[in-house]
Formats: sequence, C-alpha cells, structure tokens
Amino acid sequence: MYPIVLLSVLGIVVLYLGFLKSKSILLPATLLFLVVAMIGNFFEWNDGELLYFKGMFAVNKLTLTFNAIVLFSAFMIVAMTQGFQDNEEAQPAEYFALMLFSLVGAFMMIGFENLIMLFLGVEILSVAMYVLTGSDKRNLRSNEAALKYFLMGAFATGIMLFGIALLYGASGSFSLNGIESFVTLNQRSPSYLLYAGLLLVLIGMLFKVSAAPFHFWTPDVYDGAPSIFTAFMATIVKTAGFAALFRLLSHSFSGIYDFWWPTLSILTVLTLLVGNIIAVYQDSFKRMLAYSSISHAGYLLIALTSMTKQTENAILFYSMAYSFATICAFGVLIPVAREKSLEGRPNESYEAFNGLAKNNPLLAFVLTVSMLSLAGIPLTAGFWGKFFVFSSAVERELVWMIIVAVLMSAVGIYYYFRVIMAAYMKEGDTATIRIAPFYKIVLIAATLLTILFGLAPGLFEAAM
Amino acid sequence: MNPTLSFFYFLSFLTILSAIMVVVSRSPIHSVLYLILTFFCLSGHYILLNAQFLAAVNIIVYAGAIMVLFLFVIMFLNMKEEEEKFRGNVTKIAAAIVGGTIFIILFGAYRKTQVGTYNPYEFKSQTGMVESLGMVLFRDYLLPFELASVLFLIAMVGAVMLGKREIGERHF
Repeated sequence: MYPIVLLSVLGIVVLYLGFLKSKSILLPATLLFLVVAMIGNFFEWNDGELLYFKGMFAVNKLTLTFNAIVLFSAFMIVAMTQGFQDNEEAQPAEYFALMLFSLVGAFMMIGFENLIMLFLGVEILSVAMYVLTGSDKRNLRSNEAALKYFLMGAFATGIMLFGIALLYGASGSFSLNGIESFVTLNQRSPSYLLYAGLLLVLIGMLFKVSAAPFHFWTPDVYDGAPSIFTAFMATIVKTAGFAALFRLLSHSFSGIYDFWWPTLSILTVLTLLVGNIIAVYQDSFKRMLAYSSISHAGYLLIALTSMTKQTENAILFYSMAYSFATICAFGVLIPVAREKSLEGRPNESYEAFNGLAKNNPLLAFVLTVSMLSLAGIPLTAGFWGKFFVFSSAVERELVWMIIVAVLMSAVGIYYYFRVIMAAYMKEGDTATIRIAPFYKIVLIAATLLTILFGLAPGLFEAAM
Repeated sequence: MNPTLSFFYFLSFLTILSAIMVVVSRSPIHSVLYLILTFFCLSGHYILLNAQFLAAVNIIVYAGAIMVLFLFVIMFLNMKEEEEKFRGNVTKIAAAIVGGTIFIILFGAYRKTQVGTYNPYEFKSQTGMVESLGMVLFRDYLLPFELASVLFLIAMVGAVMLGKREIGERHF
C-alpha cells in the first residue's frame, strides 16, 4: 500500500520540480523517489496477508515481490534516460511524472482484490503509455504508434469492462473472494454468463500483454515509440499484466480450470508460433524485440495455462529474467542507434551493430548476455526462467505444449544470434561510443544480475 | 402485459434500432445524432432500473458534453459523405464472422442464464438516489474513487504535454 500512496504524491512533486529553471535535478529526484517507494514497499514484508480499504487491495509476499521487480526495472530504465539532457524538445518533468504515475497503475494490477481496482489500474498504466508512446511529437511514426495504441487499447479496455459487467451480473460481486465463492458454489451447474464474462476479461488482459491473436498493435507501437519508453512498455506492462492475470485465474477461477485451460492453451501455442516465426523475418533489431516480447508472452502463458504450485514462482522468475535482459538489450540499442543515425533518426536495423565488438567490447558483451538470456541458454537467468516454466507444464502433463515451446526456442536462437553475429563477426565502422558512467553501471548491474541468477537461481527463492 | 414491460420493450427496440442506425448511416453527423438518441434511450433504461442519478449523469455527460464535442470535431474536420473504398471484402467478412461469433456466444449465455426473480416487498425506492450512491462510493469504494484522480491527472498531463506548441511550430 505504501508505494501506491508514495508514488501518487511524489509524481506530483516531480511535476512541480519541472517548474525549476535547472532540469538537471529531475533525474536524481526521480531516482530518489523510486528508492523511497522501494523502501516503503518492504515495510509490509513481515506483515503477512493484508487487506486494505474494505477488501479493495491486497498485500502479501507475492505482490511485494512483483512490486519490487517492477520498481527495480523502472529504476534502471529511468537511470538510462540520462535526464533527456541532449534533447531540447524533451519535457523530462512530464515524462518522469507519467512514469511514476504509471507505476501506481502497475501496483494496482499486481495487488487488486476487486475488479474495479483491476480496471482502474489497467487504465492508469495504459493511458500513461499512450501518452509516452506519442511523446516524440515531431516523429510521424511515433504519432501513428500512439494513435494506433490508443484506439486499439481503448477498444480492448471496453471489451474487458463488458466482461467485468457480465462477471458482476453472474456472481453479484466485484471482489475476487465473492466471485470465487460463487464459482465454488456453482461448480455443478455452470453459469454461462460467468464464462462469457471471463472470456471477455481474458481478451482484454491478453491484449495488454500482447498475446496472439491480440498482438497486432505490438510491432508498430514498440517500433514507433521512443526506445526508452519501449523498454518501459516491454518490461513493466508485461510484468504487471501477467501478475494480474495470475491473480485473477489462480484466485477466482481455479474452480473452473477445466473451462479456461483449453482456450488459453490454444492462445499460448498461437502466441509462441506467431511471435517466434515472424521475428525471424525482421530486419530491424527493435522490431525483432517487439516480436520477441510477443513470444515471451507465450512462454509466460505456458506457466499460466498449467496453473500448478510452481506457476507462481515460474512467472515471478521468468518476468524478472525477461525484464533484466530486455532492459540490457534496449540499453545497448539506444546508444548504438543514436551513433549510427540515418537521416536524423536512430538507425535500429541489425546493420547498425556491425563491428560493435571491436571498439565497444562492454556494449557487445552486455548485448551478448542479454540475447543469450532471452534465448534461454544455460548460465543465464533466462534459462532457469524457461526451465521453471517448462517444469510447471510437465507437472500438468502438457507435453505437446512443451514440444512446441522447445521448437520455438530453437527458432528463437536463430534470430537472437543474428545480432551477436553482427557484433562480433561482421566488419563495421562503429566508432567508440561514449556512454555516461551511471549508464554503464546500470548496464553492468543488469548483466551481472542476469548471470548471477543464471548461476544460482536458488538465490531468488531464498530471498522470498 | 403491464405498462412497464411494454415500455421496456419499446425502449429496447428504439435503442437497438438507433444503435444500428449509428453504424449504418453514411453521414457522420447522422451517426452522431443517432448516438445521442441511443444515449437517451439508455437513460430511459436506467430510470426503469431505479437509477435516476445515473440517468441524469448519463444525459449530462454523454448526450450533453461528449456528443457536443463529437459534433464540433466532425464539423471542424468538414467531412464529406464519402464512399468507403479502402476496405476490402476480406475485412468485412472477417468482421462479420467475429461479430457473429460474439453475438452467438452472448446470446447463448443469456438464454441459458436464469434471471433473478423480482420481489416487490423488498423494493427500496432510494437505491439509485445520490445519497445511497455517495454512501457506497465514499465508504466501500473510497480507494478506487481516490485513485481515479491519478488517472485524470495522467490524462491532463498528457493532454498538456502533447498539445503544447513547440518552438518553431506554426501559429494558427
């Protein structure tokens, strides 16, 4: 509960700090506020299961851990913005405030106990993302992406709201506990209104985490948005979205598992196929990352579909490993693309990485580790993420799904290694790229964490 | 058939008819006018459901403010009645299939659902009034109510940020 209150207030403080003449205070202030929220988050660590405001919001170790992942990812991304100092048109106060506010939405999605809270959280997170997507006002692609994201997102939210209304109509309650008790009472006689409502809510949520066939917005939006906000979208929205889906399905609807798992398993396989196969045909690294984020939504959906005792841990670990690796990938992409700019716009194609290793060994190493982690190669966190996901599917005996997932991981290795090949094997004229010391620290920290959790995944469980 | 029920059927018929006309009309202005009619019909439904406050708010906010904005934008853009040429048949067929599937699912779900029975002795006339709504809003739903302010703040900040004129841009 503390991080929600803290960030709602501190976001307004950031807006006021924007009135100051000197913009250089904004970045350290925002980072400080994120640290404060992180400390506030762990105030409730030992309090067990808490409910706030007449059962509106729940706090337990799981939600606190998800909050911590989201906050840590946000900290790294904000640190990588460099305060937008090299961009005259940037409005850093507004960007930072919107990022802090959007985290409030993420926390609401992670700890909601009432569907109204879920809806508001989704809206807060999405509206902030629509604005940040379109923040590069002079860029036509950014404008297009923002409009596309806004129109489709509003439509998906409408569908989700319709679903929530149907769930209320069936069970007479907005709260997860109320719906759960309705589900357990009526296990013998199925309520079709509830089923229809659940399907519509699932459609709305799966749109937000960009699972196929609701993924059509993802490549254009990820490609058009400024890279730093794409990193924000790819990590925080996805983590919060899967936390919300897990909470909804494990808490309220575990009683009708037989109803929703076939639907979800078909979507899972479709997401895996679409994400991985289309990613192969991309020429732009950034667009490839967009499709890779679709495919990772597929792996997370495997854990969700199997819904065993391991699912909770698998989703936590996977979203953490995926977030760190994605932040690293974007952290390398941003300076490289800026260095190799084409016609005044950052060049985000694979060719931009040619010969990166010769003059920038650090960036090339960070890129390699993050790609290995995304591909799921052993000794990186991504491997254990996939391992936990697959073992939860094994427990549910979803062997055919694992076969598809392993095949698609093999496809994934092809397109992740393409950029490593470009960096190490191909000839290029990349000059030495100067990056700020703080930026370097963030990249190294995320890389070290990826390797650390790859060597000792038990550390994560021990910390919980 | 009692008068309330026949009024309900009449309102429902009018709602669906005007909603279809919104989609079918060629001119955007006609669409908006039909949309206003739809909102008024929905407000009628709210009154039948004993939610008078919601009915009033629906008319003020949707039929009033938002629809005026809609009309304003459409007249501002000076849209002509144009034939839609860019959409192929494939899109239309796909849309029809998706829409039809959702219709069948919802129709089936409603048909199989038992509607709660109505007991006239438990009728509370004050249910939809402002007072009881305020009680629920400020007692049970206080947290979402307050956090909605964050949503509006984001929308405001975003609108100002995106709408602000940059140095060197055209003056209108």
